[in-house]
Amino acid sequence: MFFKKISVAAAVSVLVAGAASADCSNTVSVKTISNAFPAYETMAAAMAACGNVTSELDKDHRLKIVDAFSANPSLYSMTSLTNSTSVPMIDADLLRPLDDLVASYGKDLNPNQFVKIDGKIMAIAAFANTQHLMYREDILSDLGIDVPTDWAEYIAAAEKIQAAGVVDYPIGHYTKDGWNLAFVFVNHFLGEGGDFFNADWTPSINNEKGVAVLARMAKLATLMDPEYLVSDSTFVTKQMQQGKIAMANLWASRAGAVNDPAESTVAGKIVMGAGLKGSATLASTIWWDGWSIAKNISDEEAEAAMKMIVASMAQDVIEAHNDDAIWLAPGFVPGAAAQGAFATAAGQAPNYPMNKYIGSMHGALGSGLAAFMTGDKDAATTLADIEAAYITDAKEKGLLD
Amino acid sequence: MSGPAHRQPLSLKALSNGFLVFWCLVAAFPIFWITVMSFKTPIDAFDSNPLRVIMGPRTQTDVGGLSLLDIVLALALTYVLIRFALKWLPGKVRSFVPAGQMGLGWLIGCGTFGLVTLILFVVVLPGVLGVLNPVAGPLGVDVLGLTTEHYEAVWIDRGFMRNFTNSLIVTCGVVSVSLTVGTLAGYGLARSDSLIAFWLLILALVFRALPHSVLVAGYLPYFISSSEWLAPILGEAAPTLYGKPWAVIAVLVAINQPFTIWMLRSFFQNIPQELDEAARVDGCSHFQAFRLVIVPVMWPGVITTGLFSFLLAYNDFLVTSLLLDAQNMTMVPAIANMFNRETTASDEVQAIAAAVSITAPLFILVMVFQRQIVSGLTAGAVKG
Amino acid sequence: MMFLFIAAPLVSVLWQSFHVTKPIYEQVEVETCVPGLLGSSCVIELKTRPILSDAGKIITNTTYVGLQSYRNVLQPEKLRTAIKNRSWREFTNIRFWSALRFTLVFTVLTLPLVLGTGLLIALAVNNTVPRLKGPVIFVSLLPFIVTPVIGALAIRWLFIGDGILTAGLEWWLQKDIAMFAQAWTIELMMYIYRVWHVAPFAFVVFYAGLQTVNQDTLEAAIIDGASRWQRLRYVIIPHLMPLVVFLTLIHLMDAYRVFEEIVGFSSSAHVISLQWLTYEFLLQDGTGARAISRASASAVLTMIGIAVLLAIPLRRVWREQRGS
Repeated sequence: MFFKKISVAAAVSVLVAGAASADCSNTVSVKTISNAFPAYETMAAAMAACGNVTSELDKDHRLKIVDAFSANPSLYSMTSLTNSTSVPMIDADLLRPLDDLVASYGKDLNPNQFVKIDGKIMAIAAFANTQHLMYREDILSDLGIDVPTDWAEYIAAAEKIQAAGVVDYPIGHYTKDGWNLAFVFVNHFLGEGGDFFNADWTPSINNEKGVAVLARMAKLATLMDPEYLVSDSTFVTKQMQQGKIAMANLWASRAGAVNDPAESTVAGKIVMGAGLKGSATLASTIWWDGWSIAKNISDEEAEAAMKMIVASMAQDVIEAHNDDAIWLAPGFVPGAAAQGAFATAAGQAPNYPMNKYIGSMHGALGSGLAAFMTGDKDAATTLADIEAAYITDAKEKGLLD
Repeated sequence: MSGPAHRQPLSLKALSNGFLVFWCLVAAFPIFWITVMSFKTPIDAFDSNPLRVIMGPRTQTDVGGLSLLDIVLALALTYVLIRFALKWLPGKVRSFVPAGQMGLGWLIGCGTFGLVTLILFVVVLPGVLGVLNPVAGPLGVDVLGLTTEHYEAVWIDRGFMRNFTNSLIVTCGVVSVSLTVGTLAGYGLARSDSLIAFWLLILALVFRALPHSVLVAGYLPYFISSSEWLAPILGEAAPTLYGKPWAVIAVLVAINQPFTIWMLRSFFQNIPQELDEAARVDGCSHFQAFRLVIVPVMWPGVITTGLFSFLLAYNDFLVTSLLLDAQNMTMVPAIANMFNRETTASDEVQAIAAAVSITAPLFILVMVFQRQIVSGLTAGAVKG
Repeated sequence: MMFLFIAAPLVSVLWQSFHVTKPIYEQVEVETCVPGLLGSSCVIELKTRPILSDAGKIITNTTYVGLQSYRNVLQPEKLRTAIKNRSWREFTNIRFWSALRFTLVFTVLTLPLVLGTGLLIALAVNNTVPRLKGPVIFVSLLPFIVTPVIGALAIRWLFIGDGILTAGLEWWLQKDIAMFAQAWTIELMMYIYRVWHVAPFAFVVFYAGLQTVNQDTLEAAIIDGASRWQRLRYVIIPHLMPLVVFLTLIHLMDAYRVFEEIVGFSSSAHVISLQWLTYEFLLQDGTGARAISRASASAVLTMIGIAVLLAIPLRRVWREQRGS
């Protein structure tokens, strides 16, 4: 990932030259807050080149945005949102419908970028993300293993690799306790065709699908580094880069890093595959990431913010930073790193759900699953306790009666 | 302890010094190690073979490194400079500067010294070595991989300078405010026999005991909406507290103030009351007595207490990360921000470099004030 | 000011632990279209949405729930079954009780270690050649001044995965070691880290105390033929006693709030602390909601715990104050 190395400062100077052609010069003060991803750094730099934009990149932005946008006037003109973080913003009616602004300034955007609620555009996605297979092409072909397409094949392949003993551990997975571990469960449960809730939003994970998922997670754990409960995406990426594992199911946004010669000892040997199937569908979810504009700001500021959104995903910006993300805006050319993500999308992977109940469920899973992984509880008790924790939580938050 | 009666058997001496050596190793090793890691490329930094981390073979082939000659010369220069700073500089400053402006003189002296050091290391040394290395034969061949790219990335590209300034503002604010208030209140309490002191201690303990996460999460919505609820009182000028360094200073001071007052009170109690009574008898007012008699002897205690405030403000993470915006972000949350869902190995090494950078001022601080800390504590700042 | 920043939150925490504030929800059918890589996808589904007032704020309903939140945190029924079955495992499977178990063990176990290590270093430094004292004190203070988050990360980098210390241990013991794979190794690392971090403070306080030991008493003890150990036991340690109380107070308070270690060592799968539990309730879930009532209850319980722990050393201070 060479482009990641280009600093914001350097990017600004490059883009100032390019800015003249895009003509985005801005006179109204615009304040943005966003997550701290490289892709947002790229976009923030592109906006800064237009002038009068102050950008705040903060990985904890989700803790602040609801309060900040409730203030009148809002502390920020726009924020980055994703599947889950958009829920409280939409619920509290803090976002501005963008249809008019898109009609005036958004001709160059791809219609596929719009997040629409009841027909109104509430957010403009910049890029997408998903999880898919990454594997060491050399190891798999040496051992004569076909590229796995579902989790059963994946486990079988991992066992073969383990038997051959070519790497320390055959697979890596982001199973860090908390959000990550719960996310693994969510994906697998969806892949089994499971539905987290009954019609009245009471939980329904304590069933054979839930037990099957836990059994699979326990099986995967035996094929991983025993420290799997502290293993997040960065940990897995490093394992991959240091040649300690042969396969992983990882975020698409990491596809560039694993083959980055500056960090990886096995650069170029890793190939991207599609997401892996559970017994029903793909056990991967698709996420969008993009911008929304505050309701409590002047129309003038909103107009300027909209222009900045368009400028941040102008074709020349995307072209210059093609590998930073899987961009949704026009101008993106999918490279080798993006092929896994596109294969996953083609396999009909579901979107990560956008509702309050999954937020509460994800939290309950995050604090309840570790007891099963460490062997403190059996599968049925774990799931029953998680259901109970979800009910307590949802009741306190007013979601259940 | 000296004198023949205190003479110790050799075994005890060896044991005690051996333990000391072991402890120093344990104390310094993690810090030494992250310093080493910060100078390597990611592949070397996270290698599981310690020798490869230290020697940095990948760093050497990819970026470059130091030859034996470089190392020897740099060490020699460092030694000379330290000797110079300790032996020669104080004398020079003393002889050149009139007694009244000692503080200014030291400032200029240290500044000049820093500048000279910088020039020597950044300009002169590489220049000289550039000539010497090629002719030095085997001594001139790179052996130790070393790169400063992470420091450049942190300080130049990521604009860490701004975070540094912000940390400086917050820290200076907290230290000066809490010491001013603490000294006056501590002195007052030390001279009154009330039980306030005890309740102050209890208060200090409660404040420390309250989980900070609860405190800060409670503040956040009020800080953000402050311009709305302050408007009835302050009218149009009502500020938004969120993101303002002085608001954070107020919070940090409030959290730590009881502790500061309590510590300074114990210190002032150990200054004999007869001292200021004598001054009063000589016709000084309350304030004059404080200024003329107490101020000259209070520095060790104030410095010790100040150091605690400094550490609190400088190292704080929860308060600063939630209540400050990016423009006013201090260094610790800025480093924490380098770890997110998309963290790469390069980001991690940059975070290490940043971590080493923020430890450096603490190093200097302790080096300068070490003697005062011990004497301040000795003088009773911590008498239960 | 102090009142504003501390007392107000304190009261509000107490109040919130007895009340629950919920938004009022309605069910609406909503069409949602989200972007995908190959085209956007739309679904019509029943969504639960908070009702907004005319002013655009979410309407909430606050009710007094008595001890319900405390019950939710403490889970008394599960505790009762665990006690009835005499099952330690069931006991530690309840989050609050397992957090309490760790927090208490952590606090009580590190206290003597910190005091002991601090005293040993102080005695050793006091004993060494005067020329070396300066540098040794400087090095010793390092762990204390280093930013806690960064100190924990530094130690973590040494051990995680095949960090060099783990690799060193593996080479020495000739077997595969994973420090972060089981509860006891993580706990051990957390103890070691805390002692490493706090012992320097105890050291410098004790060292300062040693400078004021009455030399006459010491000489007298020597003339009376007191052995080295007896001198330490009967002269030096009593002299340092007020410092021990001071350090105990500070340490109990800080250790009971243990939190950085849980984050730094990502130990939450194996061991959690009370402050972590509070933090977990307080943390917004993915969709921005937090369990404020339970967080408050858990914070109040934490404070009660500290108050109980501190009662003994505080009584001593109280008597001294009354006496003087």
